[in-house]
Amino acid sequence: MQVLNRVPQVTLAFWIIKIMSTTVGETGADFLAVNAGWGQNITRSVMGAFLAIALLIQLRARRYIPWSYWLTVVLVSIVGTQITDALTDGLGVSLYLSTIVFATGLAIIFALWYYMEKTLSIRTIITRRRELFYWAAVLCTFALGTAAGDLSTEALGLGFKLGTIVFGAMIALTLLAWRIGASAVLTFWIAYILTRPFGASLGDLLTQSNVYGGLGLGAMWTSAIFLTVIVILVTFAQLNINDQTNPETVT
Amino acid sequence: MRPGLLFCRCVAVALVIGLLTLTAGCSKPSNTETNSASPTTVAGQPRTSTNISAQEKTLGDLSAFRAIAADVAAIIDKGDLAAAKTRIKDLEIAWDSAEAGLKPRASGDWHVVDKAIDHALDALRANTPNVGACRQAVAELLKTIDSMSEKK
Repeated sequence: MQVLNRVPQVTLAFWIIKIMSTTVGETGADFLAVNAGWGQNITRSVMGAFLAIALLIQLRARRYIPWSYWLTVVLVSIVGTQITDALTDGLGVSLYLSTIVFATGLAIIFALWYYMEKTLSIRTIITRRRELFYWAAVLCTFALGTAAGDLSTEALGLGFKLGTIVFGAMIALTLLAWRIGASAVLTFWIAYILTRPFGASLGDLLTQSNVYGGLGLGAMWTSAIFLTVIVILVTFAQLNINDQTNPETVT
Repeated sequence: MRPGLLFCRCVAVALVIGLLTLTAGCSKPSNTETNSASPTTVAGQPRTSTNISAQEKTLGDLSAFRAIAADVAAIIDKGDLAAAKTRIKDLEIAWDSAEAGLKPRASGDWHVVDKAIDHALDALRANTPNVGACRQAVAELLKTIDSMSEKK
């Protein structure tokens, strides 16, 4: 009997959607909190509620549904970022501390995951329990990526131009490491963490005014472009989901 | 792979990440984009918990933000707190949109101005805003912005 993986294959499209969806998510949440005047607390509550609903839909689905998966990723991204921001801005927690805590937390999640499932492969997320570990890890990577990215800005004065180059280079190095034989699981999750600060820097590079060295597109246009690309790619994935000639199966 | 070995590797990765960030934080900043050609004094710049590296840079030109703040002050002087509350939102949005561009220049300074803006926002957004408190908060904000601009 063929059992289908509940999360998507890791392809170039996967990484593009991942990077862009996190940027769009952050811009959207920020718009609600500041421009729309909701304030941080209400925005956090609303996003938390949306995430709960999205997770419910995602976990209860009988198979991988692209729009459900990516909507969940966007909301996990927002909530993960908000957790770090709440700690940093709300409670005054040092970014050094949050970076180390989330890195440790991620290591613990993986340790538990491996202890209980004997595999960390993301090609065999076929049970509820494995999928819960998966989303817990994803949430942690967003919190960690936010903390590490903010830390590099604050402690090193890393702007978005340099940030795009540095994080982009680190992702490329991770890809290279995988190609020459490093653990697929390890390199995947490292790259996954890095795409958070990379996406943030890239978004800033596009949105920020020329005065600060950005391309001056503004949040609205950048979000529109990214959203269009996301919708195209996710629609493409959704339309091809019934292509049974090359399913991501586990036998 | 034995579970124990994988666990050790996970912990090792976490420790390496932690050590790298600590090392990065303790080293001098590399070439970052800045508005000022020459370093300034760091007198008056608060040592926040993250700002270990000596960021002798300034936030640069804050005149656009100062202009809105001055506008708000003028509106408060006319006694129209509601209009002032509306106008200061423009400052909030402008400041928020420029965060990614400004903060890397001098994160300590950025936080100081950010807090001053928050203070003014809170004063104007109180349930029953007090004219004196609002006026003082905005005056302090203007003073803060000016003190940043004096660092050349």
